Amino acid sequence: MIMDLQLASLLTCGFLMIIGMFAAIFIDNVIKKVIGIAFIEEGVNLFIVTIGYKAGGVVPIILPEMDPSWFASNAAYPLPFGLVLTSIVIGASTLAIMLALIMILYKKYGTLSAKELLKDRSKEAVADE
Amino acid sequence: MNELIPLMVIFPIAAALLINLFGFKSTFVKYISIIVAFIIPIIPLASNFGLHYFGGHAPLESSLSGILYHTAITYSFTAFEQLFIFILGILGFFVVLIYVNSYKKASGPYLFLLFMGIAAVSALILSDDIFHMFVFFEIAAIVQVGIVAASTIKDRYEIALKYMIVGSIGSPIILLGIAFLLAIFGNVNITDIVNMINAGFPAASSPVFFASLALIFFGWLYTAGLPPFHTAKSGIYSGAEPQGAALLQAFSVITMVSILIAMVRIFSGLEIFNVILVAFSLLAMILSITMALVQTDFKRMIAFLAVGELGFIGLGMGIGTELSMTAGLFQAVNEMVITALLFIGFGAIAVVCKTTDINKLGGLISDYPKTAIMVLIGGFAMAGVPPLNGFQSKLMLVQSALNAGYPEFAIIIVLISIATFVVFVKVFYLMFLKTKPKALEVSGEKIPKSTIITLAVFLIICITLGLFPSIATDTISGFVGGLL
Repeated sequence: MIMDLQLASLLTCGFLMIIGMFAAIFIDNVIKKVIGIAFIEEGVNLFIVTIGYKAGGVVPIILPEMDPSWFASNAAYPLPFGLVLTSIVIGASTLAIMLALIMILYKKYGTLSAKELLKDRSKEAVADE
Repeated sequence: MNELIPLMVIFPIAAALLINLFGFKSTFVKYISIIVAFIIPIIPLASNFGLHYFGGHAPLESSLSGILYHTAITYSFTAFEQLFIFILGILGFFVVLIYVNSYKKASGPYLFLLFMGIAAVSALILSDDIFHMFVFFEIAAIVQVGIVAASTIKDRYEIALKYMIVGSIGSPIILLGIAFLLAIFGNVNITDIVNMINAGFPAASSPVFFASLALIFFGWLYTAGLPPFHTAKSGIYSGAEPQGAALLQAFSVITMVSILIAMVRIFSGLEIFNVILVAFSLLAMILSITMALVQTDFKRMIAFLAVGELGFIGLGMGIGTELSMTAGLFQAVNEMVITALLFIGFGAIAVVCKTTDINKLGGLISDYPKTAIMVLIGGFAMAGVPPLNGFQSKLMLVQSALNAGYPEFAIIIVLISIATFVVFVKVFYLMFLKTKPKALEVSGEKIPKSTIITLAVFLIICITLGLFPSIATDTISGFVGGLL
């Protein structure tokens, strides 16, 4: 059962990352691309949390009444949780910047198509001249 | 004074926040930026070499394995890091100088981005913690996008979004690689991981370890702008203001070198690592020079050359001998200065002529003789013409390739250098020597003195490192000896 929990978590990570990768690469709508990128990031974050999971473990905060050796053998590994917090903040920042850029470009071109927004315009500029 | 080690990161961050806070007071921002930019290269010179443990948490020895484990983020500062952070500081100072001289109103957010970038890449090269490196790698990536978005180039938002989307796929992949390392070793400190590998930690030969290499390597390709990311990276350079591009490429070089050194330390035991490193580096060199040859936009051409030059660094590290790695890292130092010189020099021409199309330019040597001569010498330095610094690093690379039994690599290095020379001669002729086209209207605007002084200083660095390469190579070879 315990193994199943970790396995289920890992499968969910893989599922999230594959869906995210598909959306980020193959879907033309930039908002959907960003949602895909968020899926990839959350998949990786879930993977990191899964690494720190300890079956039947306790929260890694030592209290005065706890025996240190009991705590050492029963507490979950705290490092991944610390890392994932930072990772979530970074992910949120990059998503915010991408959405801000998309808003500016949507106002400029009136479309959310990645093909339209991100196409090479240097050739068009030459043709216009 | 080991306390100065974290200050190399904290000081630019604090200054960046202060500048952003007072962004509305243009004169104050200008003065404070110059002072901060002047102090930044002094800190690495004033600091003692050594380690800095954040929070004062020194490593603890495992009673079972006898391995020392780092319990806090650790910064390692040696002559090698000093060299890179000092050069970065010098570049940063002149970039800020040009910026505050170019605009009547200084933008607080733009200067904030420049200083945050300097802090981020300084942290990258100092850190001994691979997750900490990832955090600052992300900050550096956001800064790069910000610098492009804050420029006055027409398609800046499109370029920024494209780079951001590509990067946002690359970043989780590198993080997944780090997570795999965490899963294997339970640790993200590079020294601890290396000690565990050396102590015969069994999982170091597991498939997960290979997968970790693949993922981190993929993320590194994005960082360095090597194929398949070379087009996005060159777009970022050409989408930034000239002085911004000069600093951006320095950020890319240091980020690339930092992550590459981390990979060499962790994965050099895997034979495949050197093979893929050499393969992608060669691909970058060949693809970039091919793209540069067909460009008519000179900013984009330099951008492709800058990406191609990174391939030389990867090749040197991939060959894996002490001489080749020293040559590769020496090339990194040279590239930072040479490419900054070219971006600023050509960028100044773009500003006064209001075009970057070489076919629309000509006869500019009579208008801007000093700039013309300096960018020509800069181009020669990049192509590896003696007695400039690029010649020394490329000669060392050729020698190391021959010594290591790879004459084919030596031939490729020479051919790419010749092609780079051809690109520069062609561009120089079209921009400066060819008859001036009638349609070309030179605004008569003078190139600012700050730009001329910057170019002259960078040129002096190129010539000095060319005549006395041991200034850098002694430091680098000492570091490489420790790495091997």
